[in-house]
Amino acid sequence: MARAVSEEGALVAVIADEDTITGFLLAGVGDVDIRKRSNFLIVDSKTTVRQIEASFKEFTARDDVAIVLISQPIANMIRHVVANHSKPIPAVLEIPSKDSPYDPNQDSLLNRVKHLLGMA
Amino acid sequence: MWGWEQLYFNVKDGYLEAIVRGHKSGLLTVPDYNNLTQCEALDDIKLNLTATDYGAYLANEASPLFTSTVVDRCTRKLVDDWNAMRCQADEKLARFLDFCTYGHMIDNVVLIVTGTLHERDELLDKCHPLGMFDSIATLAVAQNMRELFRLVLVDTPLAPYFSENLTHEDLDEMNIEIMRNTLSSSSKQQQQQQAAAASSSSKQQQQQQQQQEYKAYLDDFAAYCSQLGGTTAEVMTDLLAFEADRRALNITLNSIGTELTRDDRKKLYSNFGLLYPHGHNELSIAEDFDQIRAAMEKVPAYASLFNKLGYGESQMLDKLLYEEEVRRCAACYEQQFHYGVFYAYMKLREQEIRNIMWISECVAQDQKARVNDGIVFLF
Amino acid sequence: MSGSTNRYQVPPTVTVLTMMKARLVGATKGHALLKKKADALTVRYRQILKDIVEAKQGMGDAMKGSFFALAEAKYAGGDSIKHTVFDNVERASLKVFSSLDNVAGVKIPKFESVSQPGDTKMDLTGLGKGGQQIQSCRKAYISAIQLLVTLANLQTAFMTLDAALKTTNRRVNALENVVKPRLENTISYIKGELDELEREEFFRLKKVQKNKQKAADRAAAEDAKAGGGDKRADPYAAMGGVDSKGDGVAPASMLADAADEDIVFS
Repeated sequence: MARAVSEEGALVAVIADEDTITGFLLAGVGDVDIRKRSNFLIVDSKTTVRQIEASFKEFTARDDVAIVLISQPIANMIRHVVANHSKPIPAVLEIPSKDSPYDPNQDSLLNRVKHLLGMA
Repeated sequence: MWGWEQLYFNVKDGYLEAIVRGHKSGLLTVPDYNNLTQCEALDDIKLNLTATDYGAYLANEASPLFTSTVVDRCTRKLVDDWNAMRCQADEKLARFLDFCTYGHMIDNVVLIVTGTLHERDELLDKCHPLGMFDSIATLAVAQNMRELFRLVLVDTPLAPYFSENLTHEDLDEMNIEIMRNTLSSSSKQQQQQQAAAASSSSKQQQQQQQQQEYKAYLDDFAAYCSQLGGTTAEVMTDLLAFEADRRALNITLNSIGTELTRDDRKKLYSNFGLLYPHGHNELSIAEDFDQIRAAMEKVPAYASLFNKLGYGESQMLDKLLYEEEVRRCAACYEQQFHYGVFYAYMKLREQEIRNIMWISECVAQDQKARVNDGIVFLF
Repeated sequence: MSGSTNRYQVPPTVTVLTMMKARLVGATKGHALLKKKADALTVRYRQILKDIVEAKQGMGDAMKGSFFALAEAKYAGGDSIKHTVFDNVERASLKVFSSLDNVAGVKIPKFESVSQPGDTKMDLTGLGKGGQQIQSCRKAYISAIQLLVTLANLQTAFMTLDAALKTTNRRVNALENVVKPRLENTISYIKGELDELEREEFFRLKKVQKNKQKAADRAAAEDAKAGGGDKRADPYAAMGGVDSKGDGVAPASMLADAADEDIVFS
């Protein structure tokens, strides 16, 4: 199922809470392929860290995923994995969650950027 | 019956009417809302709600709170009230109460059917608790639509609506949709090809289906109410007519620019209400908001509603409609000895839950400036 | 001296010297070019850094707007819309297409989100109520995604540039601190060796000349002593030949030896 990123267009994967996912699915990013493999993970109180980690690894390893969106509180749960992701593609973006306002200080990438700019 | 109902009403339903009026006085009032809008966090909201009827339901919720939890707890309160009343009700009232919840039941059935179709699990948790019925769990067992109908739906109270609307054609259409999605092979090659061609429209079919069931349900509810006669019929006709007209309006508004044809649109309108039948004809051909407005303004009751609306402001319409509904529901408490109060209680409570959801969302997302846009004050 | 260790092990010849000089010119030019590239990358990099900080902060607001639009949709359409949405997921209608952007020879992947038209399966969601809010929520999320894609662009660009900048800087440093000094050392070593050889040669020539001078002086003195007798003495015998030992004893001229046995080739 190796699909070239440039030809068919790549997917945007999302790991977030139910409401956020609803919004992104409305926008049309959702994708379920023939093998019932979806490109999003709904994280609720029942989801374990292990599951999140596995999904994150799966999404970043898929070659038809160009961008992985992960909501910040969830990223904090698997911070070590997110911080270790260094490949440019797929790009891992931390998005704010609905219930907690966006905190720029927790963003791995932003921290690095600020450090480089000498702002930290 | 007219006039004599006062003699007999209290024998059977007096107790419950007292109960429901008691519940009604527990609804949040303007000062309550003022307090709620001042909250800075969800925990403050919880604190404020503890002083109300919701107290017992929210008291044990641990922080951190989420909007969904708050809404869930509040709904639980309504459901508990409702079930308690349902248990006490005698035959006629019980039927009436059931009718009130059929809307949610239809939602649930559609949810389960489409959910099964997409092989999603934990469907029962997602159902609206008001729309639960005993055999709902068996819905998920059915393999295709025909089986679903024959084995399961006939036993549910909803059978008449589904049977009325699921013509043979629709059955096949949905049947194939299911088969296509479960990847099971079918001998109906020809029809499968058809389904493949119409795969995108078949999604819409489901939405339409749901609306048709609603329509049948509303029609049936109206018929039942007029059969009950007396004050109930009088009050409920008014409320249901409004509900039907609102649906007609919404369907028109939301189907502008979609593939829904005029005939399809007309099929979805209920067969009663103030707009029936002339307003429906006009609505079914309306192509933009101003045409809808022109059609609606011919009915005096809605003309005043639209007068509050500037030209081109369709966004505010929802709130105005909610307000009108609340006004009508509140008004029906002015009369005694009728069932409308139960329906009105459900509607008011639901609106209140919506309000609470809105306030919590605004507070949780730090959008306090807009908090008053979504609140419909009940009293 | 570091010059003896930090240099290439080459024979000190003129050919090698020219070769080394050519290499030094190449390295200098390469260094200058890479330095320019690194500068260009740094400029872009700095700009991207600033953009990222800005976009990240802008994203917070955009997402807030989207979340609120969703709350509005839920308010109008009831909580059940999300189930409809989840059930309607099939194939993605919004995809990301990527192209390559070129900054000073570094290829940076560039994403672009494309919402495929003709997708209407969501259009009838919330037909009964809340349809409009759902549509506006959808629009809000689509624009949020566009912003996120821009941000993703910046982020990949940041990552790629970061890597590219690191390698380029490493190369610049390698050229500047290792390759160039080494070449320079080699060149100065070869030059030193060649100079040494030249000096030796010069000294030797000088010595030879001195010897010749001595011999000539001696011959002149003998001439003067003899007073013009034995004029027939062979002048070549006195002059002497080139002698590596430089002891001034010259062999007799072969031409002077008259009695030479005939070599008979039979």
